[in-house]
Amino acid sequence: MTERRITFTREQIAEYAEVSGDHNPIHLDDEFARSVGLPGLIAHGMLQMGLLATVAAEAAGGPGRLRRLSVRFAGMVVPGDTVTFRAEPAGDRRLELSALNQKGEAVLTKAMAEYEK
Amino acid sequence: MAAVAGRTYPAVQFEIDADRVAAFAKAIGADPADGVPPTFAAVYSLGVTVPHLFADEEAAVDFARLLHAEQEFEWERHPRAGETVTSRGRVASDSSRRGMRFVSFEADTSDSNGAPVCRSRTLFVIRS
Repeated sequence: MTERRITFTREQIAEYAEVSGDHNPIHLDDEFARSVGLPGLIAHGMLQMGLLATVAAEAAGGPGRLRRLSVRFAGMVVPGDTVTFRAEPAGDRRLELSALNQKGEAVLTKAMAEYEK
Repeated sequence: MAAVAGRTYPAVQFEIDADRVAAFAKAIGADPADGVPPTFAAVYSLGVTVPHLFADEEAAVDFARLLHAEQEFEWERHPRAGETVTSRGRVASDSSRRGMRFVSFEADTSDSNGAPVCRSRTLFVIRS
């Protein structure tokens, strides 16, 4: 099993906005996020998926081996949340992936990877 | 709202810049020495194709009510820094039920020889 525990910060979410080019204000501006019914700014789903992919790549023996990666964005992640990203072998060239917050809630579901040897 | 299933958008070229790849790798806790991170597809595929959908007035996607619900990437191979790749987006399906609209958006990325690199499948849910 491969695992990483990450506590999300505003700085990290802002950095992901910068490097990914996704400047949607729901990830950058608390006031805007609240105006569209969110509790405040939230992390990009693709940041969560990226962190999960890093763990999956480690479990697969390198990022170049990943052939498929899929997730459902099931829960919001806000600054201060601690998420445990995990990859476990699930048969031939498959990994079962999970991302649980500090309350034990899955923020990503239906998460899996396939890789080549 | 209009159902726009089957709609295709123009191809977009993207040059994979080594410095940007390194900064992206760092942001997701990956080692920049390991090459282009798999989910850099968020930039070279989604990042260049999804804006066409959002700018499509007939598709009428309300950005403020949009949720990125599911994402899948499938790679033939991972691109290298310095390569130029081309991505084309399309609306695979567009349906509404119980007050929610479900738009399935796909994008295919190929290399400069036309060989496939990555296929992206995205499910957007738009609350009404």
